[in-house]
Amino acid sequence: MSGGDKKRKHTRSQGWEPAGSEFYQESYPMDAEEIMPQDPKHLATLLPSKQSRAGATLRLRTYDQRTATTRRWQATNQTQKDSTDTAQHRRPSQGEVQVSMLPDLSQNLSNEQSTWEEVMLIKAMPIPMDEKKKLKEKILNQPNLRLQGYEQFKWKRRKAWDHTMIRVNEMFTKVELWRQSLKHIEGNFGTGVVAYFLLLKWMFFLNLTIFISIFLFITLPTILLKDSQGCTEIKDLVNNASYSTDSVDFNFLDLFQGTGIVEDTALFYGFYPNETYCYLVNNTKLYYNLPLAYLLITLLYFLLSLINIVKSAARGFRERLIESEGQFYQYCNLIFGGWDFCIHNQASADIKHKALYNEIKATLETDKSEEERQNRTRGERYVIIFWRMTAFLVTVAVWGFSGAAIYFVFDISTRELEKEIDDKFIQFVYQFLPSFCIVLLNMIVPQIFKRIVVFEKYCPANALTFTLLRSVGLRLASLFVLYYSLFSKVTCHNKENCTEMECWENYVGQNIYKLLWTDFATHVFTTFFLNFPRALLAKHCNNKVFKALGQQTFELPKNVLDVVYSQTLCWFGFFYAPLLSAMASLAFFLIFYIKKFACMNNSTPSAVVYRASRSNSMFMSVLLFSFVCALLPIAFSVSEMTPSTMCGPFSEHASVWQLIVQIFSYTPDVIKTVGHFVTTAGFAIPMFVVLFLLLYYYNAINAANRHMVTVLKNQLVLEGHDKQFLLNRLSMFIKENQKKERHRNADYYENTQHRNISSSN
Amino acid sequence: MGQTRSQFSEEELQDYEDLTYFTKKEVLYAHQKFKALAPEKVGHNKNAKLPMSKILTYPELQVNPFGDRICHVFSSSQDGDITFEDFLDMMSVFSEAAPKAVKAEHAFRIFDFDGDDMLGHSDLKQVVEKLTGENKLNDSEMQLLINNILEEADLDDDRALSFAEFEHIIDRSSDFLNAFRIRL
Repeated sequence: MSGGDKKRKHTRSQGWEPAGSEFYQESYPMDAEEIMPQDPKHLATLLPSKQSRAGATLRLRTYDQRTATTRRWQATNQTQKDSTDTAQHRRPSQGEVQVSMLPDLSQNLSNEQSTWEEVMLIKAMPIPMDEKKKLKEKILNQPNLRLQGYEQFKWKRRKAWDHTMIRVNEMFTKVELWRQSLKHIEGNFGTGVVAYFLLLKWMFFLNLTIFISIFLFITLPTILLKDSQGCTEIKDLVNNASYSTDSVDFNFLDLFQGTGIVEDTALFYGFYPNETYCYLVNNTKLYYNLPLAYLLITLLYFLLSLINIVKSAARGFRERLIESEGQFYQYCNLIFGGWDFCIHNQASADIKHKALYNEIKATLETDKSEEERQNRTRGERYVIIFWRMTAFLVTVAVWGFSGAAIYFVFDISTRELEKEIDDKFIQFVYQFLPSFCIVLLNMIVPQIFKRIVVFEKYCPANALTFTLLRSVGLRLASLFVLYYSLFSKVTCHNKENCTEMECWENYVGQNIYKLLWTDFATHVFTTFFLNFPRALLAKHCNNKVFKALGQQTFELPKNVLDVVYSQTLCWFGFFYAPLLSAMASLAFFLIFYIKKFACMNNSTPSAVVYRASRSNSMFMSVLLFSFVCALLPIAFSVSEMTPSTMCGPFSEHASVWQLIVQIFSYTPDVIKTVGHFVTTAGFAIPMFVVLFLLLYYYNAINAANRHMVTVLKNQLVLEGHDKQFLLNRLSMFIKENQKKERHRNADYYENTQHRNISSSN
Repeated sequence: MGQTRSQFSEEELQDYEDLTYFTKKEVLYAHQKFKALAPEKVGHNKNAKLPMSKILTYPELQVNPFGDRICHVFSSSQDGDITFEDFLDMMSVFSEAAPKAVKAEHAFRIFDFDGDDMLGHSDLKQVVEKLTGENKLNDSEMQLLINNILEEADLDDDRALSFAEFEHIIDRSSDFLNAFRIRL
């Protein structure tokens, strides 16, 4: 009975066996023992998905390039499936990768272009150079078709274009500004700080571009054509050239104040006359409308700035969006993107280790404190709310105090300046009093904010944001107070005895000019005369007190705020002092070195991990905000305020905007009709509707995509479970089988033993 | 420069330009850097094989906690020794021009300490240990951290990150591309 049973089992397993091994041999033609390890984990490494990674990389890359080779590589993939014999090692050795990677020649005849594209793909493969070279040779040795006709032309052109691009890029990297410096900073401080320096570079180039265009289109024509009497019919309508200040003698202090001789230079608004220049070239008259050029350049400047900011911000925003979609990736980001591979300094590396350690701990803590927050008792919650309210009130109070201080200081300084003071130096002091006040507040108040935020118990990231926002608020508030003071001075608000200024635009320009100087001087002063001695103190004294006094880290938010502030000043003052952009670009050029000095010599790397992506989007949002704040007063003054009658390109218009209206009325009827139509409700309302629909449409697509992502993710998880399940089953089955095999062998052995014994008997 | 140029033929340079993310000039510059590690040896044989200890004197690799892993991954002889061509491969992957997918591939290999093609518990632990250096997380923190990582990224619940999962993270990580870079 038992024997029969055994027999039946035996036959069944025999029926199983061949089929099984046949099945495996199909895909893995080798020893069953070798392919079927007991551990299901090991088994997982045999999955085709694990084998075709190199191919996957390739496919990805192909997709990136959007070239037409995808088809070919798909073919490759098929070949790969056939040659799965590479599966016998967990990671296929190079030679086999190569085999599996080679395109199937019988299916595709290559032409020059696809061959070349394939060669270009080799660089993405994770194989040593030797193999790459062989692969390249192999691909090049294949018979390939020459392209014909237009294709050939296109191909030649593309190749030439690529070649030039390489050379051009090579040249650019050679002349690239601050390349070495950036590498140096990166090596010591990591990518977050370098992002700041890249911002500086970006601002430098922005201002430089603007300066060049202003110089070419406004300053140069004015200087060249001022005295040319090319065609006399169009005589200048207003004798605005008569405007000039009284003082003729040059004083050194004038250079910083923007008064005296400096006021009459091309730096300020008053220099540019309201004239349409006329120029004779071969008896044809060419006109150059300077006021229009002035206005257009202003518009161009703001547009260019806006586009640049939005472009950079959009990149950051996209990254943020990706991040926020998976807030979950903060740990992975920290671990896998944590180390800056560019660091090459032992001290920085040590600090980086420490910083990463802190960050990891902090993130873990935040998770815990999140739980704690939810478990907070009512009493604790009230305490925190109380503190936050208090902090908020203190902040507002500080803002108000700063605003008031600036307002009064400005008032005092203007009043004192109206009295005739002979002493040039005292005059100088009064001139700069408001600027000093603003800069001083900017230095002190953020420190207060830093102290306050400790009481509020925000998590570190939020605390940083809050301090930053408050400091930004302070800077903008101080600027707004300044605007208001200037505005009331210019328009003679609430004052009985005020004299109409000859050229108020110059006056505003001067004030901004002074602020910019003060700002720059502060950078120089704090870096070289305050922080540098401190750093020396910390380096050379072993006293603990001195060490604590002298140690300083490179605080990114504060430094960003500094340069953003300078840029805001530049935006605001630009209309009244066009060449401020030249000054700003020069200032940014120097600030780069000053900050580099501050970074390399004064500071030690910060214990806070600044991420490049996060800081970048932070910079850009602050910049965008400041941009809007600088734009508002300019827009107001352009559209509402009456330009001075004595000076400037808009001297005879009721407002600057009038010029546009006037020019518009000269245009042909077609444009006029279109213009009128665009400004009517008949155009605006449908436009709004269309925009709204578009917005809705994109929103819907977005929602659908999000949904899709969730669905796919869930599916992935399910597949993973399935895979896991199947693998477990398979390995169990194999084990069972092996056990049976062993039994059978044992049985067989026993039987033979038995037979032997019986036969011997 | 002229002396270095003479060490390479034009075809070799063309090969290198085609097969890496560098231009010819950059290849030569890379060679200078390589030569600086062992001037005499490389002076004799431009493609000399330098031992790992020598390679690890390269500033960025010296302080990099994954320096030895990088050498192992890029070593064509699989023992951590690096020839110039390996070095070129390495710098090419770390260069700015290399796409994310290529960087991810190598990063995965660098982080895969035991070479089983999965980032398992022990791999992650080693990565974290290398990152924090002398400051050690205690066991419970480490466990919590690894659990968090796996919770974030391990989609198929096999308690290890496969390459696909790793690539998925890298795609989402905006910092990775910046961080995984060595300027030549």
